[in-house]
Amino acid sequence: MYFSDLGTVSLILALGFALYTMIVAVIGAMRNQPQLVASAQRSVLAVTFFLILASAALIISFLTHDFGVSYVAQHSNLAMPWYFTAAAFYGGQEGSLLYWALTLSLFSAIFVFTAKRAPVVLIPYVVATLMGIETFFLIMLTTVSNPFVRILAPSDGNGLNPLLMDPGMLVHPPMLLMGYMSFSVPFAFAVAAMVTGNLSSDWLRSIRRWTLAAWSIQTTGLVLGAWWAYHVLGWGGYWGWDPVENAALLPWLTATAFLHSTMVQERRGMLKVWNRALVILSFALSIFGTFEVRSGVISSVHSFAYSDVGSYFLVFLAIVIVFSTGLFLFRLPKLHAEQEFDSVISREGVFLLNNLLLVGMAFATLWGTIFPLISAVIRRQTMTVGPPFYDQVIGPLLAVLILAMGVGPLLAWRRTSSAALWRNLGVPTIIAAVCAAVLPLAGVTDILANIGFSLCAFTAAASLYELWRGMCVRHSHGEPYLLALYMLFNRYRQRYGGYVVHLGLVLLTVGVIGSHFFQIQQDALLKPGQDMNVAGFRLTYLGNLDTKEPDKEIITSQLQIWHDGQLQSYIYPGRTFYHNFDDQPASQISITTFGVTDLYVFLADWTGASQATIRVFINPLVPLVWYGGLLMLLGGILCWWPVRTKRAAVRVSQTSDVSRSQKSAGIESKGIVV
Amino acid sequence: MKQKYSFSLVLGIVVVIAAIWSCMYLLAPKPPTLDQRVRDVGSQLKCPICQGESVADSPSLLAQQMRGVIRQQLQAGKSEQEVIQYFVDRYGEQIVWTPQWQGFSLLAWLVPIGLLLAGAGLLLFTLRNWHISSPTTGSTTTLDKDDKDLPGEDELERYRVLLEQELVAEDVLFKDYRVESQSCQSL
Repeated sequence: MYFSDLGTVSLILALGFALYTMIVAVIGAMRNQPQLVASAQRSVLAVTFFLILASAALIISFLTHDFGVSYVAQHSNLAMPWYFTAAAFYGGQEGSLLYWALTLSLFSAIFVFTAKRAPVVLIPYVVATLMGIETFFLIMLTTVSNPFVRILAPSDGNGLNPLLMDPGMLVHPPMLLMGYMSFSVPFAFAVAAMVTGNLSSDWLRSIRRWTLAAWSIQTTGLVLGAWWAYHVLGWGGYWGWDPVENAALLPWLTATAFLHSTMVQERRGMLKVWNRALVILSFALSIFGTFEVRSGVISSVHSFAYSDVGSYFLVFLAIVIVFSTGLFLFRLPKLHAEQEFDSVISREGVFLLNNLLLVGMAFATLWGTIFPLISAVIRRQTMTVGPPFYDQVIGPLLAVLILAMGVGPLLAWRRTSSAALWRNLGVPTIIAAVCAAVLPLAGVTDILANIGFSLCAFTAAASLYELWRGMCVRHSHGEPYLLALYMLFNRYRQRYGGYVVHLGLVLLTVGVIGSHFFQIQQDALLKPGQDMNVAGFRLTYLGNLDTKEPDKEIITSQLQIWHDGQLQSYIYPGRTFYHNFDDQPASQISITTFGVTDLYVFLADWTGASQATIRVFINPLVPLVWYGGLLMLLGGILCWWPVRTKRAAVRVSQTSDVSRSQKSAGIESKGIVV
Repeated sequence: MKQKYSFSLVLGIVVVIAAIWSCMYLLAPKPPTLDQRVRDVGSQLKCPICQGESVADSPSLLAQQMRGVIRQQLQAGKSEQEVIQYFVDRYGEQIVWTPQWQGFSLLAWLVPIGLLLAGAGLLLFTLRNWHISSPTTGSTTTLDKDDKDLPGEDELERYRVLLEQELVAEDVLFKDYRVESQSCQSL
């Protein structure tokens, strides 16, 4: 009896409970038997329990180096430190599917525990949908992709791909996989709403918060992925429009669109059809993303994960699309708007523009990703769609999006009087003009960069100005400025959290513009004592060091950085050769940050102890990408954070006018909200 | 009067910005130097032996040689397009990193652009439809009126009213908008 046997048994039991939940939940809902639904909810917890057990079994197999488990033997060895050994859990295909299933079951359990807040009619269908998705993964895990398959134990394992032996491995894959997974919950809500055809406005709040959670997780995963690529791949950038990166961006874009258009539904009762389509699309794209990573149909730098499970994902994707499209069309006649559109110059007008741009970006990215495939199928001719394509298509869309982000919050719902609009636009426009005028004087002569920076200045100014005026309003009621700021964030989290996200995206865009237009690259073949000069930095090469360790050999070059006539630091860019992966040396890139400029040094080639080809990138403003990402995450959490005090306050005020709220509930239940 | 003033202010600044940008465009060196042209062509070609790097960026020996070839051919008077075609003939179409504006690859560009325009058109059409089908539902939004109701108030005061309305509206979560707007008016 090994732990892996426990794992196999747990997976089979989890599959059984998942199937049970699905069937019992649907029957319970159709026959209106609450005890069956309650049983289904408890059964979800059983699924969660067995998946935790299976995951624990796999981690224990890794930590005890049980190489009799094929997956353990392929993805770890005795020399790896324990944290990478444990992280190898999701380092390969079988493990990452198990991780997906585990996180999905954990989210399902969270849903069950918080089900009191969700509308009662929806619960069984949400649970059934979640377990339907879980069933697919469990079928994969128990058949074609079982992580617990035993082999004759070798004396040592293969070890992990050197690219994965990085701190990024500990955070990026779990975040991104969880991000993909988390779009399941909004999807389950959408399915439940369409099946029952009956939903209160609680539905909107539930789905919005789950989507916000998914969005925040996916944002974190994307930024961490960019950070990891920047630190590991050695080409001086952080985003290469690689197919797998694109796949991760797609559901993020559609979820962002949803988070905006859902506000229009909440305020104006419009866009119901569209919102539902966006939720379904986000989930379908996240399955597409998982499929793309796992199938290897499209070549990518993430190509350490090829396998044959791709076709199963394709079938699942087809089922998801057919099923949800069918439901969607079935419910279409009931989804009509409650209110009419008043004016294009209004906040909902800008939200529509925002949706058009985000979905346009998502489509262009998807199209560029699959175009080589289309070409290969139709013309039998392989071709490449590289970064210049995306830069030229996405760049202008992003510019308009940034502008819309600045204008949107200045507009009112329904319609804005033109007088108010022009007044509100004054200050941000002046700041944009100052930015446009000052940059050429400061030596920035690229016109596209100037346009980009000016738009960013406009939007940053608009957001900050809006925040400032909010503070002024409260200040005029006698609150000190700092308290006013705190109260704004405390009481109107969604509004001001949204501004924080906007500011984060602006900061990130400034970083992207900086590194896109002003990156300097220089290569030099150096002998000890020789210098190279790049953009005010002088690098003095001293020689190579060779360190031999039991499982690896590390070659580093020693260099000095001189700036402003002063020795700043010593750096050691290098390469690590793991014995099992001699042909894939991992790069050790030296990144030194001076203010907002990164000095990125990569050891390109070397001969013996006293010659090296050093590649230097000056990456201006790249640190802003990370700060912007952090700010976006912070804003996402602010929007998501539960509002306890406010609820209580609302409840008090609601008791005072129960009759009115009941009246409005009456209007809703007549089916117009659907 | 005040509205005219702020309108012309914003318009004036936008004109200034446009002037700055067009100046920058006109002042940019018009006939690009040979180095720029080599870089231009190089960045459209994928380095065949590297992972995700263009010929212009890659430090590999092959890419260096290719840059040399590009330079020679451009000096000999070939156009950018001819140089790219030269490499396509030798390495096949996957060497082009950006889909060409011709033949089948044109689809790569036209489909997203076309769909975006179609989306914009559809959006405008739908909006107009909604707008026309509801000529009377203009339940006279509060904002316009408020602007007129407060003549001579300074900007801050007007904005305060607007912001407070919105914030109050957000406080009472997820209410039917009609109820909400009534409550706003009654405030």
